[in-house]
Amino acid sequence: MASNILRKLSCSLKNVGLSGPRVCQTLSVAPSALSRCLSSEAAAGAETRPTVRPHDAVAREHLVDFGRYVAECLPKFVQKVQVTGTDELEVLVAPEGIVPVLTFLKDHHNAQFASLADIAGVDVPSRLYRFEIVYNLLSLRFNSRIRVKTYTDELTPIDSVNDVYKAANWYEREIWDMFGVFFADHPDLRRILTDYGFEGHPFRKDFPLSGYVEVRYDDARKRVVVEPLELAQEFRRFELNSPWEQFPNFRDTSVIEDATPTTEKK
Amino acid sequence: MSSGKAASVVTRQVRPILSLSHDDSRRRVLALYKAWYRQIPHIVTEFDIPKNTKQCQQKLREEFLKHKDVKDIRVIDMLVIKGQMELKETVTKWKQVGHVMAYWKDSVNKKPDDFLGKFLDGKD
Repeated sequence: MASNILRKLSCSLKNVGLSGPRVCQTLSVAPSALSRCLSSEAAAGAETRPTVRPHDAVAREHLVDFGRYVAECLPKFVQKVQVTGTDELEVLVAPEGIVPVLTFLKDHHNAQFASLADIAGVDVPSRLYRFEIVYNLLSLRFNSRIRVKTYTDELTPIDSVNDVYKAANWYEREIWDMFGVFFADHPDLRRILTDYGFEGHPFRKDFPLSGYVEVRYDDARKRVVVEPLELAQEFRRFELNSPWEQFPNFRDTSVIEDATPTTEKK
Repeated sequence: MSSGKAASVVTRQVRPILSLSHDDSRRRVLALYKAWYRQIPHIVTEFDIPKNTKQCQQKLREEFLKHKDVKDIRVIDMLVIKGQMELKETVTKWKQVGHVMAYWKDSVNKKPDDFLGKFLDGKD
Protein backbone atom coordinates (compact mmCIF):
# COMPACT_ATOMS: atom_id res chain seq x y z
CA MET A 1 0.00 0.00 0.00
CA ALA A 2 2.84 2.34 0.83
CA SER A 3 4.57 1.52 -2.41
CA ASN A 4 2.11 3.04 -4.84
CA ILE A 5 4.73 4.85 -6.76
CA LEU A 6 7.02 1.83 -6.81
CA ARG A 7 4.10 -0.18 -8.11
CA LYS A 8 3.56 2.51 -10.70
CA LEU A 9 7.15 2.15 -11.83
CA SER A 10 7.01 -1.62 -12.08
CA CYS A 11 3.61 -1.45 -13.73
CA SER A 12 4.77 0.91 -16.41
CA LEU A 13 7.83 -1.26 -16.94
CA LYS A 14 5.55 -4.28 -17.36
CA ASN A 15 3.48 -2.40 -19.88
CA VAL A 16 6.58 -1.56 -21.82
CA GLY A 17 7.62 -5.18 -21.70
CA LEU A 18 4.27 -6.43 -22.96
CA SER A 19 3.75 -4.20 -25.90
CA GLY A 20 7.29 -2.96 -26.36
CA PRO A 21 8.26 -4.97 -29.46
CA ARG A 22 5.30 -3.76 -31.47
CA VAL A 23 6.07 -0.15 -30.68
CA CYS A 24 9.70 -0.73 -31.49
CA GLN A 25 8.79 -2.27 -34.81
CA THR A 26 6.50 0.44 -35.90
CA LEU A 27 8.18 3.46 -34.44
CA SER A 28 11.71 2.37 -33.46
CA VAL A 29 11.92 5.02 -30.79
CA ALA A 30 14.37 5.27 -27.95
CA PRO A 31 13.37 3.31 -24.82
CA SER A 32 13.14 6.44 -22.74
CA ALA A 33 10.30 7.72 -24.88
CA LEU A 34 8.41 4.42 -24.79
CA SER A 35 6.16 5.12 -21.87
CA ARG A 36 5.14 8.46 -23.28
CA CYS A 37 4.21 6.87 -26.62
CA LEU A 38 2.27 4.17 -24.84
CA SER A 39 0.27 6.56 -22.73
CA SER A 40 -0.70 8.67 -25.69
CA GLU A 41 -1.56 5.54 -27.65
CA ALA A 42 -3.77 4.23 -24.87
CA ALA A 43 -5.82 7.39 -24.78
CA ALA A 44 -5.87 7.81 -28.54
CA GLY A 45 -9.40 6.49 -28.76
CA ALA A 46 -10.68 9.13 -26.39
CA GLU A 47 -8.67 12.10 -27.55
CA THR A 48 -7.42 12.66 -31.10
CA ARG A 49 -6.97 16.41 -31.19
CA PRO A 50 -3.25 17.15 -31.10
CA THR A 51 -3.63 20.34 -29.10
CA VAL A 52 -5.52 18.71 -26.25
CA ARG A 53 -3.59 16.85 -23.60
CA PRO A 54 -4.63 13.18 -23.54
CA HIS A 55 -5.54 11.49 -20.28
CA ASP A 56 -3.38 8.78 -18.80
CA ALA A 57 -5.82 6.63 -16.89
CA VAL A 58 -3.12 4.48 -15.25
CA ALA A 59 -1.12 7.42 -13.99
CA ARG A 60 -4.31 9.02 -12.76
CA GLU A 61 -5.22 5.91 -10.82
CA HIS A 62 -1.81 5.92 -9.15
CA LEU A 63 -2.25 9.57 -8.22
CA VAL A 64 -5.61 8.81 -6.66
CA ASP A 65 -4.06 5.91 -4.73
CA PHE A 66 -1.22 8.03 -3.46
CA GLY A 67 -3.55 10.84 -2.46
CA ARG A 68 -5.68 8.36 -0.54
CA TYR A 69 -2.58 7.04 1.19
CA VAL A 70 -1.51 10.57 2.23
CA ALA A 71 -4.98 11.29 3.58
CA GLU A 72 -4.95 8.05 5.60
CA CYS A 73 -1.51 8.78 7.01
CA LEU A 74 -2.39 12.31 8.11
CA PRO A 75 -6.11 12.23 8.92
CA LYS A 76 -5.79 15.11 11.39
CA PHE A 77 -4.59 17.63 8.84
CA VAL A 78 -5.70 16.53 5.38
CA GLN A 79 -9.21 17.80 4.73
CA LYS A 80 -9.61 16.79 1.12
CA VAL A 81 -7.68 15.15 -1.69
CA GLN A 82 -8.57 15.79 -5.30
CA VAL A 83 -7.27 15.17 -8.78
CA THR A 84 -7.77 17.92 -11.33
CA GLY A 85 -8.88 17.41 -14.89
CA THR A 86 -5.27 17.66 -16.04
CA ASP A 87 -4.13 14.81 -13.75
CA GLU A 88 -2.63 16.84 -10.96
CA LEU A 89 -2.90 15.68 -7.38
CA GLU A 90 -4.02 18.30 -4.87
CA VAL A 91 -3.98 17.88 -1.10
CA LEU A 92 -6.06 20.39 0.86
CA VAL A 93 -4.83 20.72 4.42
CA ALA A 94 -5.70 22.70 7.53
CA PRO A 95 -3.41 25.72 8.08
CA GLU A 96 -2.00 24.42 11.39
CA GLY A 97 -0.88 21.22 9.67
CA ILE A 98 1.13 22.64 6.81
CA VAL A 99 4.52 21.93 8.41
CA PRO A 100 3.75 18.30 9.36
CA VAL A 101 2.24 17.58 5.95
CA LEU A 102 5.16 19.05 4.02
CA THR A 103 7.64 17.29 6.33
CA PHE A 104 5.84 14.02 5.66
CA LEU A 105 5.84 14.54 1.90
CA LYS A 106 9.50 15.50 1.92
CA ASP A 107 10.84 12.76 4.17
CA HIS A 108 8.58 9.79 3.49
CA HIS A 109 10.45 7.10 1.59
CA ASN A 110 7.71 6.60 -1.00
CA ALA A 111 7.08 10.31 -1.57
CA GLN A 112 10.42 12.15 -1.42
CA PHE A 113 9.05 15.48 -2.59
CA ALA A 114 12.38 17.05 -1.79
CA SER A 115 12.03 20.08 -4.05
CA LEU A 116 9.73 23.01 -3.40
CA ALA A 117 8.99 24.37 -6.85
CA ASP A 118 6.87 27.34 -5.86
CA ILE A 119 4.55 28.89 -3.31
CA ALA A 120 1.61 30.80 -4.74
CA GLY A 121 -1.28 32.73 -3.30
CA VAL A 122 -4.89 33.05 -4.38
CA ASP A 123 -7.24 35.76 -3.14
CA VAL A 124 -10.98 35.08 -3.06
CA PRO A 125 -12.46 37.95 -1.02
CA SER A 126 -15.91 36.36 -0.67
CA ARG A 127 -14.63 33.50 1.49
CA LEU A 128 -14.30 33.47 5.26
CA TYR A 129 -10.60 32.66 4.86
CA ARG A 130 -9.91 34.68 1.75
CA PHE A 131 -6.35 33.61 0.93
CA GLU A 132 -5.32 30.25 -0.45
CA ILE A 133 -1.64 29.40 -0.13
CA VAL A 134 -0.52 26.84 -2.71
CA TYR A 135 2.69 24.81 -2.33
CA ASN A 136 3.92 23.06 -5.50
CA LEU A 137 6.25 20.18 -4.74
CA LEU A 138 8.39 18.06 -7.04
CA SER A 139 9.72 14.59 -6.34
CA LEU A 140 12.88 14.16 -8.35
CA ARG A 141 13.14 10.54 -7.25
CA PHE A 142 9.76 9.50 -8.64
CA ASN A 143 9.34 12.22 -11.29
CA SER A 144 6.09 13.28 -9.74
CA ARG A 145 4.45 16.49 -8.65
CA ILE A 146 1.96 17.29 -5.93
CA ARG A 147 0.14 20.44 -4.90
CA VAL A 148 -0.63 21.23 -1.27
CA LYS A 149 -3.18 23.92 -0.54
CA THR A 150 -4.08 25.65 2.69
CA TYR A 151 -6.02 28.75 3.63
CA THR A 152 -5.80 31.84 5.82
CA ASP A 153 -7.10 35.39 6.14
CA GLU A 154 -5.43 38.79 6.51
CA LEU A 155 -4.68 38.42 10.21
CA THR A 156 -4.17 34.71 10.78
CA PRO A 157 -0.49 33.79 10.72
CA ILE A 158 0.68 30.66 8.93
CA ASP A 159 3.67 28.62 10.07
CA SER A 160 6.72 29.19 7.94
CA VAL A 161 8.02 26.09 6.17
CA ASN A 162 11.51 27.57 5.97
CA ASP A 163 12.79 24.84 8.32
CA VAL A 164 11.54 22.16 5.94
CA TYR A 165 12.43 23.77 2.61
CA LYS A 166 15.12 26.45 2.48
CA ALA A 167 13.60 27.61 -0.81
CA ALA A 168 10.53 28.81 1.07
CA ASN A 169 12.39 31.83 2.43
CA TRP A 170 11.98 34.10 -0.57
CA TYR A 171 8.67 32.58 -1.67
CA GLU A 172 7.13 33.40 1.70
CA ARG A 173 8.56 36.87 1.59
CA GLU A 174 6.88 37.27 -1.79
CA ILE A 175 3.53 36.07 -0.42
CA TRP A 176 3.91 38.44 2.53
CA ASP A 177 4.68 41.33 0.20
CA MET A 178 1.98 40.63 -2.38
CA PHE A 179 -0.87 39.40 -0.15
CA GLY A 180 0.03 40.48 3.37
CA VAL A 181 -0.13 36.97 4.83
CA PHE A 182 2.07 36.81 7.91
CA PHE A 183 4.35 33.78 8.29
CA ALA A 184 5.16 32.92 11.90
CA ASP A 185 8.77 31.95 12.70
CA HIS A 186 10.12 33.15 9.39
CA PRO A 187 13.78 34.12 9.90
CA ASP A 188 13.82 37.17 7.64
CA LEU A 189 10.31 38.33 6.76
CA ARG A 190 10.45 41.66 4.92
CA ARG A 191 9.43 43.13 1.58
CA ILE A 192 10.99 41.65 -1.55
CA LEU A 193 9.26 43.14 -4.62
CA THR A 194 7.72 46.45 -3.65
CA ASP A 195 9.53 49.72 -3.00
CA TYR A 196 10.44 50.84 0.52
CA GLY A 197 7.59 52.77 2.03
CA PHE A 198 5.05 51.14 -0.30
CA GLU A 199 1.68 50.77 1.35
CA GLY A 200 -0.74 47.96 0.64
CA HIS A 201 -0.45 44.53 -0.89
CA PRO A 202 -0.78 44.60 -4.70
CA PHE A 203 -2.12 41.07 -5.34
CA ARG A 204 -5.13 41.53 -3.13
CA LYS A 205 -8.31 41.76 -5.12
CA ASP A 206 -9.28 45.03 -3.40
CA PHE A 207 -6.04 46.70 -4.49
CA PRO A 208 -6.80 48.90 -7.51
CA LEU A 209 -5.14 48.06 -10.81
CA SER A 210 -3.61 51.53 -11.02
CA GLY A 211 -2.39 51.58 -7.42
CA TYR A 212 -2.90 54.37 -4.91
CA VAL A 213 0.16 56.53 -5.58
CA GLU A 214 2.37 57.62 -8.42
CA VAL A 215 6.08 58.27 -8.13
CA ARG A 216 8.02 60.90 -10.07
CA TYR A 217 11.31 62.77 -9.91
CA ASP A 218 10.87 66.34 -8.70
CA ASP A 219 13.43 68.64 -10.23
CA ALA A 220 12.99 71.44 -7.68
CA ARG A 221 13.37 69.16 -4.65
CA LYS A 222 16.05 67.02 -6.34
CA ARG A 223 14.48 63.78 -5.17
CA VAL A 224 11.73 61.30 -5.94
CA VAL A 225 8.34 62.29 -4.59
CA VAL A 226 5.27 60.12 -3.96
CA GLU A 227 1.88 61.59 -4.79
CA PRO A 228 -1.65 60.20 -4.61
CA LEU A 229 -2.92 59.07 -7.97
CA GLU A 230 -5.69 60.92 -9.69
CA LEU A 231 -7.40 59.42 -12.71
CA ALA A 232 -10.22 60.80 -14.78
CA GLN A 233 -13.24 58.54 -14.58
CA GLU A 234 -13.22 57.46 -18.22
CA PHE A 235 -9.75 55.93 -17.93
CA ARG A 236 -10.88 53.68 -15.14
CA ARG A 237 -13.53 51.73 -17.04
CA PHE A 238 -12.41 48.44 -18.56
CA GLU A 239 -14.47 45.75 -20.21
CA LEU A 240 -12.64 42.62 -19.14
CA ASN A 241 -15.19 39.98 -20.11
CA SER A 242 -14.96 38.79 -23.67
CA PRO A 243 -18.20 37.77 -25.39
CA TRP A 244 -16.37 34.87 -27.10
CA GLU A 245 -15.13 31.62 -25.67
CA GLN A 246 -11.41 31.65 -26.35
CA PHE A 247 -10.46 28.05 -25.65
CA PRO A 248 -13.42 25.78 -26.48
CA ASN A 249 -11.08 22.78 -26.63
CA PHE A 250 -10.32 23.16 -22.94
CA ARG A 251 -13.89 23.65 -21.83
CA ASP A 252 -14.07 20.53 -19.68
CA THR A 253 -10.52 20.33 -18.34
CA SER A 254 -11.42 21.76 -14.98
CA VAL A 255 -13.27 18.65 -13.85
CA ILE A 256 -12.00 17.87 -10.37
CA GLU A 257 -12.25 14.38 -8.98
CA ASP A 258 -12.54 13.93 -5.23
CA ALA A 259 -10.20 11.27 -3.89
CA THR A 260 -10.61 11.67 -0.15
CA PRO A 261 -10.71 8.22 1.45
CA THR A 262 -13.46 8.93 3.98
CA THR A 263 -15.96 9.80 1.28
CA GLU A 264 -14.88 6.78 -0.72
CA LYS A 265 -15.59 4.39 2.15
CA LYS A 266 -18.98 5.76 3.14
CA MET B 1 -33.62 42.14 23.99
CA SER B 2 -30.63 40.95 25.95
CA SER B 3 -31.03 37.42 24.62
CA GLY B 4 -31.20 38.74 21.06
CA LYS B 5 -28.05 40.69 21.65
CA ALA B 6 -26.34 37.66 23.14
CA ALA B 7 -27.32 35.58 20.14
CA SER B 8 -25.88 38.14 17.75
CA VAL B 9 -22.46 38.08 19.45
CA VAL B 10 -20.46 35.29 17.86
CA THR B 11 -17.12 34.42 19.38
CA ARG B 12 -14.43 32.93 17.21
CA GLN B 13 -11.23 31.35 18.39
CA VAL B 14 -8.37 32.92 16.45
CA ARG B 15 -4.66 32.37 16.43
CA PRO B 16 -2.72 35.33 17.90
CA ILE B 17 0.04 36.97 15.88
CA LEU B 18 2.25 38.15 18.75
CA SER B 19 0.26 39.48 21.69
CA LEU B 20 -2.14 37.57 23.89
CA SER B 21 -3.64 40.53 25.74
CA HIS B 22 -4.20 44.27 25.38
CA ASP B 23 -1.42 44.99 27.89
CA ASP B 24 0.93 42.90 25.82
CA SER B 25 0.11 44.73 22.59
CA ARG B 26 0.31 48.10 24.36
CA ARG B 27 3.79 47.23 25.59
CA ARG B 28 4.86 46.34 22.07
CA VAL B 29 3.52 49.59 20.66
CA LEU B 30 5.35 51.64 23.30
CA ALA B 31 8.55 49.70 22.70
CA LEU B 32 8.30 50.41 18.98
CA TYR B 33 7.64 54.09 19.64
CA LYS B 34 10.68 54.30 21.90
CA ALA B 35 12.85 52.51 19.38
CA TRP B 36 11.85 54.98 16.66
CA TYR B 37 12.28 57.91 19.05
CA ARG B 38 15.82 56.88 19.94
CA GLN B 39 16.76 56.38 16.33
CA ILE B 40 15.49 59.76 15.13
CA PRO B 41 18.71 61.74 15.90
CA HIS B 42 20.72 59.15 13.97
CA ILE B 43 18.25 59.21 11.08
CA VAL B 44 18.50 63.01 10.91
CA THR B 45 22.28 62.89 10.75
CA GLU B 46 22.45 59.90 8.38
CA PHE B 47 19.98 61.18 5.79
CA ASP B 48 20.33 64.48 4.00
CA ILE B 49 16.79 65.66 4.77
CA PRO B 50 15.62 69.23 5.39
CA LYS B 51 14.06 68.28 8.75
CA ASN B 52 15.36 68.53 12.28
CA THR B 53 14.90 66.15 15.19
CA LYS B 54 11.94 68.04 16.56
CA GLN B 55 10.00 67.83 13.29
CA CYS B 56 10.77 64.12 12.97
CA GLN B 57 9.52 63.46 16.51
CA GLN B 58 6.33 65.32 15.70
CA LYS B 59 5.86 63.25 12.53
CA LEU B 60 6.48 60.05 14.49
CA ARG B 61 3.79 61.02 16.97
CA GLU B 62 1.43 61.83 14.10
CA GLU B 63 2.02 58.46 12.45
CA PHE B 64 1.26 56.59 15.67
CA LEU B 65 -1.80 58.69 16.49
CA LYS B 66 -3.16 57.91 13.02
CA HIS B 67 -4.03 54.43 14.36
CA LYS B 68 -5.09 55.44 17.88
CA ASP B 69 -8.60 54.02 17.43
CA VAL B 70 -7.49 50.53 16.49
CA LYS B 71 -8.65 48.12 19.18
CA ASP B 72 -8.18 44.66 17.64
CA ILE B 73 -5.06 43.07 19.13
CA ARG B 74 -4.17 41.30 15.91
CA VAL B 75 -4.49 44.48 13.84
CA ILE B 76 -2.27 46.29 16.36
CA ASP B 77 0.26 43.46 16.12
CA MET B 78 0.26 43.63 12.33
CA LEU B 79 0.84 47.40 12.47
CA VAL B 80 3.67 46.90 14.98
CA ILE B 81 5.29 44.31 12.72
CA LYS B 82 5.10 46.66 9.74
CA GLY B 83 6.44 49.50 11.87
CA GLN B 84 9.40 47.39 12.92
CA MET B 85 10.12 46.52 9.29
CA GLU B 86 9.98 50.22 8.36
CA LEU B 87 12.34 51.06 11.21
CA LYS B 88 14.83 48.48 10.03
CA GLU B 89 14.59 49.72 6.45
CA THR B 90 15.27 53.27 7.65
CA VAL B 91 18.06 52.55 10.13
CA THR B 92 19.98 50.25 7.80
CA LYS B 93 19.70 52.92 5.10
CA TRP B 94 17.90 50.67 2.63
CA LYS B 95 15.58 53.62 2.25
CA GLN B 96 16.72 56.68 0.36
CA VAL B 97 15.99 60.35 1.03
CA GLY B 98 12.85 60.24 -1.09
CA HIS B 99 11.45 57.30 0.90
CA VAL B 100 12.03 59.05 4.24
CA MET B 101 10.63 62.34 2.98
CA ALA B 102 7.52 60.52 1.74
CA TYR B 103 6.20 60.64 5.33
CA TRP B 104 5.74 64.42 5.02
CA LYS B 105 3.99 64.38 1.61
CA ASP B 106 5.27 67.94 1.05
CA SER B 107 4.69 67.85 -2.70
CA VAL B 108 1.00 67.06 -2.33
CA ASN B 109 -1.26 70.10 -2.54
CA LYS B 110 -4.09 69.99 -0.07
CA LYS B 111 -7.46 69.78 -1.75
CA PRO B 112 -9.78 72.74 -1.09
CA ASP B 113 -12.66 71.77 1.18
CA ASP B 114 -14.71 75.00 1.15
CA PHE B 115 -17.17 75.94 -1.57
CA LEU B 116 -15.23 78.83 -3.08
CA GLY B 117 -11.99 76.90 -3.11
CA LYS B 118 -13.63 73.99 -4.93
CA PHE B 119 -15.28 76.40 -7.37
CA LEU B 120 -11.99 78.09 -8.18
CA ASP B 121 -10.30 74.71 -8.49
CA GLY B 122 -12.85 73.78 -11.16
CA LYS B 123 -13.74 70.38 -9.71
CA ASP B 124 -16.88 69.03 -8.07
